[in-house]
Amino acid sequence: MAVLSADQVAGLAATGASCRVDEAVAPKFSVGDHVVVRNINPSGHTRLPRYVRGKRGVVDRDHGVFVFPDTNAHIEGEKPQHVYSVRFTPRELWGGDASERDSVYIDMWDDYIDPTE
Amino acid sequence: MAKHDHDHEHTAPPSDPALRVKALESLLLEKGLIDAAALDEIIDTYENKIGPRNGAAVVARAWVDADYKKRLLDDATAAIAELGFSGVQGEDMVVVENLPGLHNMVVCTLCSCYPWPTLGLPPVWYKAAPYRSRAVSDPRSVLDEFGVTLADDVEIRVWDSNAELRYLVLPERPDGTDGMSEDQLAAMVTRDSMIGTGLVQAP
Repeated sequence: MAVLSADQVAGLAATGASCRVDEAVAPKFSVGDHVVVRNINPSGHTRLPRYVRGKRGVVDRDHGVFVFPDTNAHIEGEKPQHVYSVRFTPRELWGGDASERDSVYIDMWDDYIDPTE
Repeated sequence: MAKHDHDHEHTAPPSDPALRVKALESLLLEKGLIDAAALDEIIDTYENKIGPRNGAAVVARAWVDADYKKRLLDDATAAIAELGFSGVQGEDMVVVENLPGLHNMVVCTLCSCYPWPTLGLPPVWYKAAPYRSRAVSDPRSVLDEFGVTLADDVEIRVWDSNAELRYLVLPERPDGTDGMSEDQLAAMVTRDSMIGTGLVQAP
């Protein structure tokens, strides 16, 4: 196995490894779409925070196509798909008299959300 | 250790996590899986070479150059790379701009995701459960505890970097700094102001 050497560190740190995929995958959602987060509870790796599961939000921007970590982390394929910034109100997330003006923006893969309305 | 009375001092053993890291490091070195010089280089890189001064340079440039600011907000990764800051944990950047009546702050509720090329490694509190949970559920109180007291009508946007995007806040340029050079402006920009848990104050 090749071991990282000191002279490789600077180049590696400056390059990184993007999970963005240069592939023409059709987006399932558009900016402005109302969505609901799937209430799933994977036993393996996921990047879907529990506090948004089952909550309703609005697609704010499309970040492009990225590797899907839930499958990729388990060597089950990259399953590239769009990632969107989805806006949620604190009232939707926390109920009660939480603010409706403030927002929490979370990045959601296509497979985390369903259409609503 | 049993309590006993005499006049020499004992050296306290390192904390459990520190001991665990030392044990892992020794094993990895013994098995030839890591190179000690490479490890030193990584630590030196993120302790001394890459840190929030990089992000401050980005902010100052955006304050003095409207075209740069537009590029930064349109395609942050490319605009930040113009200044030479790119790489691990900065591959896909988003910059969010504070404006009068609008305040942005960044958290990673899942772990500690953070834009390394512009801010370096995250502070301990950024990785701690209280910040990670309360930044999304009660951001106004968290900001208050950081000394950032916002008027009730200021909108707060919290960005959870749960996925592959890394966020940097473009703080508001303070009043009374019109005559300052780009370097002088950069010197005012704090790490916390680029996470959104601080404001930039004129000296």
